[in-house]
Amino acid sequence: MRFVLRRLGFYLLAFWVSVTLNFLLPRFMPGDPVSRMFARSQSRMTPEQITQLQKLFGLDDRPVWQQYVDYLGNVVTGEMGVSISRFPTPVVEVIAGQIGWTILLGGTALVIAVLLGNLLGILAAWRRGGALDSFLPPVLVFVGSFPYFWLAMGALYLFGVSLGWFPLRHAFSAGSSPAWSGDFVADAALHLVLPAVTIVVVSVGGWMLAMRNTMIATNAEDYIVMAEAKGLRPGRIMFRYAARNAMLPAVTSFGMSLGFVVGGALLTEVVFAYPGVGYQLLAAVQGLDYPLMQGIFLTITAAVLLVNFLVDIVYVRLDPRVRAS
Amino acid sequence: MSVTESTSAALGAAAGAGSRPAPDGDALAPASGAAASGRAGAPARRGLARSLLRNRKATLGVGILVLFAALALLAPVLAPGDPTAITDTGSQPPSGEHLLGTTAKGQDVLALTLWGARSSLFVGFLVGLAATLVGVTVGLAAAYFGKVTDDVLSLATNVFLLLPGLPLLVVLAAFLPPGTGTVVVVLVITGWAGAARVLRSLALSIRAKDFVAAATVTGEGAGWIMFREILPNMASIVMSTLLGGVIFGIGSQAGLEFLGLGDVSVVSWGTNLYWASNDGALMVGAWWAFLPSGLCIALVAFGLALLNYAVDEVTNPRLRVPRRARSAARTLGGGTMVSAAAGTSAAHVGDDVGDVPVLEVCGLTVEYRGENRTVVGADRVSFTIGEGEVFGLAGESGCGKSTVAHAIMRLLREPAVITAGTVRFCGRDVLTMSDEELRAFRWRDVAMVFQSAMNSLNPVMTVGDQIADIFTTHERVSRAEALRRAGDLLELVQIDRSRLRSYPHQLSGGMRQRVVIAMAVALRPRLLIMDEPTTALDVVVQQEIMAQIADLRRELGFAVLFITHDMSLMIELSDRIGVMYAGRLVESAPAPLILTAPRHPYTRALIDAFPPLTGPRRELAGLADGVRFTDIGDLVEVAPEHWVAPHDEEVSA
Repeated sequence: MRFVLRRLGFYLLAFWVSVTLNFLLPRFMPGDPVSRMFARSQSRMTPEQITQLQKLFGLDDRPVWQQYVDYLGNVVTGEMGVSISRFPTPVVEVIAGQIGWTILLGGTALVIAVLLGNLLGILAAWRRGGALDSFLPPVLVFVGSFPYFWLAMGALYLFGVSLGWFPLRHAFSAGSSPAWSGDFVADAALHLVLPAVTIVVVSVGGWMLAMRNTMIATNAEDYIVMAEAKGLRPGRIMFRYAARNAMLPAVTSFGMSLGFVVGGALLTEVVFAYPGVGYQLLAAVQGLDYPLMQGIFLTITAAVLLVNFLVDIVYVRLDPRVRAS
Repeated sequence: MSVTESTSAALGAAAGAGSRPAPDGDALAPASGAAASGRAGAPARRGLARSLLRNRKATLGVGILVLFAALALLAPVLAPGDPTAITDTGSQPPSGEHLLGTTAKGQDVLALTLWGARSSLFVGFLVGLAATLVGVTVGLAAAYFGKVTDDVLSLATNVFLLLPGLPLLVVLAAFLPPGTGTVVVVLVITGWAGAARVLRSLALSIRAKDFVAAATVTGEGAGWIMFREILPNMASIVMSTLLGGVIFGIGSQAGLEFLGLGDVSVVSWGTNLYWASNDGALMVGAWWAFLPSGLCIALVAFGLALLNYAVDEVTNPRLRVPRRARSAARTLGGGTMVSAAAGTSAAHVGDDVGDVPVLEVCGLTVEYRGENRTVVGADRVSFTIGEGEVFGLAGESGCGKSTVAHAIMRLLREPAVITAGTVRFCGRDVLTMSDEELRAFRWRDVAMVFQSAMNSLNPVMTVGDQIADIFTTHERVSRAEALRRAGDLLELVQIDRSRLRSYPHQLSGGMRQRVVIAMAVALRPRLLIMDEPTTALDVVVQQEIMAQIADLRRELGFAVLFITHDMSLMIELSDRIGVMYAGRLVESAPAPLILTAPRHPYTRALIDAFPPLTGPRRELAGLADGVRFTDIGDLVEVAPEHWVAPHDEEVSA
């Protein structure tokens, strides 16, 4: 319990750092980017909206500490202003409308990559010198060397443009609108295949190698020899004794790598014009939509921290030694 | 040899994190600064450099990097014309005139790719170098100042590590003026934490080593300790951090530029891809516009990853795929490999105990086959153990006692191979058993108590589940029934049944060893192998454990193969004793005879190494310096039940 509370405190601290970063960036960056934004889009806004945005970005006469306190209050209450590129929708609504697609894409790809990678790693370490152990790691390291977006472009060109097996862009076909119908789900699933597969293909190698290396270390432990001496069936030794111990570091690195997966998903979303927050983030940058950009960044950060916290709770369940202390 | 050399060598052997060399300088020319900062002892370095060069992954990786470095340097010479020159021959597929075709704007793709290498490699190495430098600084500062500084630094590192990198990059890049400088700064801001985390924990662990304490005691200055004692020993990890940093730098730069957040007027692999995507090269099928740059990024990253992987393998040889095993992969859980010759060449030497003995080992030979040389772990070892008998196997560390013990249950793994001899249990040939037969044989017929109880229990399973496993596997009973019987077993060794739900770390050392002993007798095996069962315990607990074993033996009547280097304990417990030396059995006799009338000079030396409890004081005499026994012959019966290997003093025997 103490462990969990300590982690919670840490994540709150991390979130505070990213909020502060967000506060400082527009105020202290050279070139006054925020004024450029206002100059471009002021004409469309109502006076109240202008005042609100000026407060958010520090273009008023309040002292900095007052701005900071107000900013923190705004973040906590979800008051992020209105989006400029998608005027006059509030930032929170824009994010709410798109985060689902990112969770769908990132979540699907992450779960598949983690399960597949760890399973391959376990099997490779179990049969040292087998096909999985000898040939797959170099191949996956090679594939993993490609930039996400480049592989995504390649897949898009090959399977989308040339072969025409999969749709080229977006999360569902033009003309249909999100609904819980069989047709729509099938359509969305078809749109999901290419982006998800590219993320899996690039990231699975890292999981596999990490698991393989921990498994090899674990297999040399005395308790594995003991389990063999006990005459247990290989499957039981492999999963209950070896993999069960080897997965502990994997669980920790899961949280760590989450940030990278989010980054990869962002690039993939851009290539496939997948309507998630990553795609929107880039659009916000291009449209000088700083409120939306900040909102998305904070949302992504909060999501990453939340998942890390959940992973910590799972870790406590998995390792009795941490549970006790 | 200077202090630094000896200490770094010692650390390298102990922690596997010793000085690792940089590959040949010209391969990583921009990187040599950081690599050179690790100043490990030169001799050790050359040895590791050689093993890196022998590593095929390393040579391939270095080769790729050298190639790209050369291409980047020679771009002005190699490139056909100005990469930025816009012509009216747009979107041409590869041809004689334009080897890699042209972009939508009519720029030559080959020229773009070659010139792009310059910016991409430069930014990549710069980012890697800067991130590593920050990491080293943070690591050394944390290790040196410790306390609050370390707390603050590690907190900052962990926070930055957690913030999602690419979104942060995008936000930062959006606020900063575009340009290559911005890209580098932004990448270092997001990339330093990974390097700092690894290097901090490494520096802290090195700081805790004895040689650093020794340097502190001898009054070395802080700077000396940081840069001459700690830093050189971080060279290997600094190196792999640098490689990782460069991969991150090249990849992230490409990502940023692809998003249009860099300076799109600079020619680099990332901007090439940005323009390819912007010009819709994909949609018109102009694959040549985006293929080369991506391939280059991947190849360079692959080369770096290979090199990193090779560095890992050289410092941790266990990760290497065993070369010989490729033809016949083996899984754990199967038995030790038995070569075809085994089971035939054995000459029967040993005692006749009348009926079929419980265990009959004949001419057992075990070889450890390395890539370069083969070591014989046990050499034509023969002995028998009768029903209910306690047979002690004595000898110094490394003489092959444990090898024999493990070979009996075929627990030895690659690279061990049983090359000759037979092992018979109650007349059944153990070496020819199938995997399934072997599994049934293990624990039901022969069980084993391992040296370290802490390490032989699975840390994440309750004691109860680990005992229950035995019953559910061998007797196919329900889990509830298995747990009930596990509870009975715990009570047999005087541990409360409520401990079934405990994890190993919640038990004391003595309790853990008793749990392991309880597990060993779970199926009432006829033979129990005990490999140094009390070595890790203090003397009082040792006595309790031995008494426990004696009680169980009276109750259950199993035979014991007892292995220890504690001669007094062995003579007290064993009926007969075999003495091993360099893989050979040199003497075998009833315990009292070994004590009172040892025949082989090695046995005498072993007995003499322990002071007698009574009688006059005398000087303990071991083997004379430099005495080695070679070409030890087969045992010869010199008296009833007393077998000795022929030796120089035979005449007097």
